[in-house]
Amino acid sequence: MPDTLTEPGAVTDAVSIPLTQLPRGTRPRIAGSQHNADDAALLRAMGLKPNAELEVCRMGQPCIVALTGACGGGCRLGLSRELADRVLVHAGA
Amino acid sequence: MASAPGQAEQAAAAPDRRVALLGNPNVGKTTLVNRLSGAGHKTANFPGTTQEALVGRAQIAGRNSTLIDLPGIYALDLNLSESSVCRAVLAGHLAPEGLAPRVPDVLLVVLDATNMLRNLALLAEAARLGLPTGVVVNRLDEARRRGIHVDVERLAERIGCPAIGISARTGEGLAELPSLVESARPPGLEPPHDRAAIEAWADDVYAAVAAPRETPASDRLTDRLDRAFTHPVLGVGAFALVMTGLFWVIFRLAAFPMDWIDLVFAHLGGLVESSLPAGAVRDLLSEGVVAGIGGTVIFLPQICLLFFLIALLESTGYLARAAFVIDRLMRPFGLSGHAFVPLLSSHACALPGIMACRAIPDRRDRLATILVAPFMSCSARIPVYVLLTVILFPGSPGLQALAFTGCYVVGAGAGVLSALIARRTFLRGRSRPMALELPPYRLPDVAHALRVMLDRGWVFLKKAGTVILGISIVLWWLGAYPGAGPSPEGEALRAQATSMTDGDARALFEEADALDARYAARTSFLGRIGETVQPVFEPLGYDRQLTVGVLASFAAREVFATTMAVQVAGSEDIEDQGVVGAIASARRDDGSAIFSTATSWSLLIYYILAMQCLPTLVVTAREAGGWKWAGAQLAWMSGLAYVCALLVYQGARLLGAG
Repeated sequence: MPDTLTEPGAVTDAVSIPLTQLPRGTRPRIAGSQHNADDAALLRAMGLKPNAELEVCRMGQPCIVALTGACGGGCRLGLSRELADRVLVHAGA
Repeated sequence: MASAPGQAEQAAAAPDRRVALLGNPNVGKTTLVNRLSGAGHKTANFPGTTQEALVGRAQIAGRNSTLIDLPGIYALDLNLSESSVCRAVLAGHLAPEGLAPRVPDVLLVVLDATNMLRNLALLAEAARLGLPTGVVVNRLDEARRRGIHVDVERLAERIGCPAIGISARTGEGLAELPSLVESARPPGLEPPHDRAAIEAWADDVYAAVAAPRETPASDRLTDRLDRAFTHPVLGVGAFALVMTGLFWVIFRLAAFPMDWIDLVFAHLGGLVESSLPAGAVRDLLSEGVVAGIGGTVIFLPQICLLFFLIALLESTGYLARAAFVIDRLMRPFGLSGHAFVPLLSSHACALPGIMACRAIPDRRDRLATILVAPFMSCSARIPVYVLLTVILFPGSPGLQALAFTGCYVVGAGAGVLSALIARRTFLRGRSRPMALELPPYRLPDVAHALRVMLDRGWVFLKKAGTVILGISIVLWWLGAYPGAGPSPEGEALRAQATSMTDGDARALFEEADALDARYAARTSFLGRIGETVQPVFEPLGYDRQLTVGVLASFAAREVFATTMAVQVAGSEDIEDQGVVGAIASARRDDGSAIFSTATSWSLLIYYILAMQCLPTLVVTAREAGGWKWAGAQLAWMSGLAYVCALLVYQGARLLGAG
């Protein structure tokens, strides 16, 4: 994990960063996760699968993301900050 | 689907066809089952689990069919109770109560057209089972509005089994459902096995069946609403406003049907009194059955309204956002937002609430939630809250609503404080974080809310007709027997009256009758029990009759109003005053009011906090894994209730309340 914050909109496909380091409005892609097996399986089945595209709708507690690719922003997930911290993303455009 | 007469006879002889509906949460399975089965459905538990299903009965293509609405799941292979129930039902190892376990004849996989990609992954998992399958793509109307086109025919080709597109909400496409069920067959696709292969398959099918489209602009309105409803200050304010509004509406609207029910039962009691000869049967019917049932059924309007409004709120998508507000509020107390649904359910009844705790993944979270769930004000407490708030604030619906809301706040507050103590002592450890789907904001679904209301109202009425009727009759018997003769004081007054003028004599006779009634109540079995235990409750301001009410409601709280109604029925004219009025004006043996201000406050606090529900203790022992948890729950809640009621009563007396 990088130890510097990523600027909004910066292309950082080479590295993955925690979802919580991105501001509202960013559209990252899922890179992986650091959850335990049960949490990881649930989040993946809920749509947070590798390479899925998200839009960060609210940052903080809770972190709200929309699964943009799958359902046109209509499908939203609320994650506690603790969970969102362990979702690794590639910050996209 | 119409069938020829010969076919109809054949169909009638054929066994029920069992149709299981599988899908992600919130895909509209329940609406579909309701649409198909009309009034012919009921909620049933899966034995040995905390999950429940809507079971509907319908004629599909001329054949009796049983529809099982399985719990909504994201994947079949997850380590969650919903997923394991679905696996067991589809393997034929489990069925809802009342049905023998067997493999379903038809599996309907319900997909949400507005969220196809994720839903397709579940379809791929379901295809592995090899059951006769039909695919229902729901919410076509909503998908069209969002510019999403789903090619249902191409979907059917790709999966090798029939598929239809519908809108369960509007009824669009439902006419095709019978032929879908008839033509269901095992999917012809080569099912992918691991999660990565399933996802790749879903991506592939999605690209083929859903029109390629640009990622749309963000939904600004949803964004704004989400930010407002989950905001640390605005969100809490909105939640408080919504809940106060909810209870205010309940109070304003329920008052009318409550008055009508009160009148009906008062007249019914009078009718029984006037049309039957005096004796045990008449007393049993008027004072046991009518007064007992009337004392409970009167609260049906409030229970129905509560469930109606909660279901209405749930259908708007607001409650999922509220869960995060609650998560933030509860986390400092060692509870997670996962506890929100169990605790909210506990406001209806602690039993489903405690059972819903199985969905809380973390053991310590789960135990803490189970232990404090009965602090939430369940519907059985509503009768007592209504009675006491009406007594405390007669003729002020605004203050009644405020006090009523206060009862809920005090109960929830005691619950979270107790959870904090538990999490800081014997359940030390961190809470598991929360992940929830936030459904789109929708207009309230009145039809769905009405169905929920009727379902829950019926459950309450059945309880009133069985358990509560039984307790009413036992209480009446305990109160009416062994049957004392005239009291010595009454006899003395009557002797005195014989030497008086008519007017004076009548007054004395009436006084003698009242003395006799109190004497009979005091010497009855119930009176003796109350008298023995009463000293324990004396510091709380409870007399013999209130003590009986408190004792009788140990098994079930809602019996309190009934018990008081039955006790008062012996000495007061219920027909003139109605149930609530008769209870409110009830007198102690010494003639002073039972429900003084201090006593009413003390009683209200006692009922908010005390553990008075035998079934809850049984379920706690089962769900928490031992009677020591149920024992701790009983001791803590009852002890806290006693101490708080004592402080309130003595404090109110010190402040000069009567």
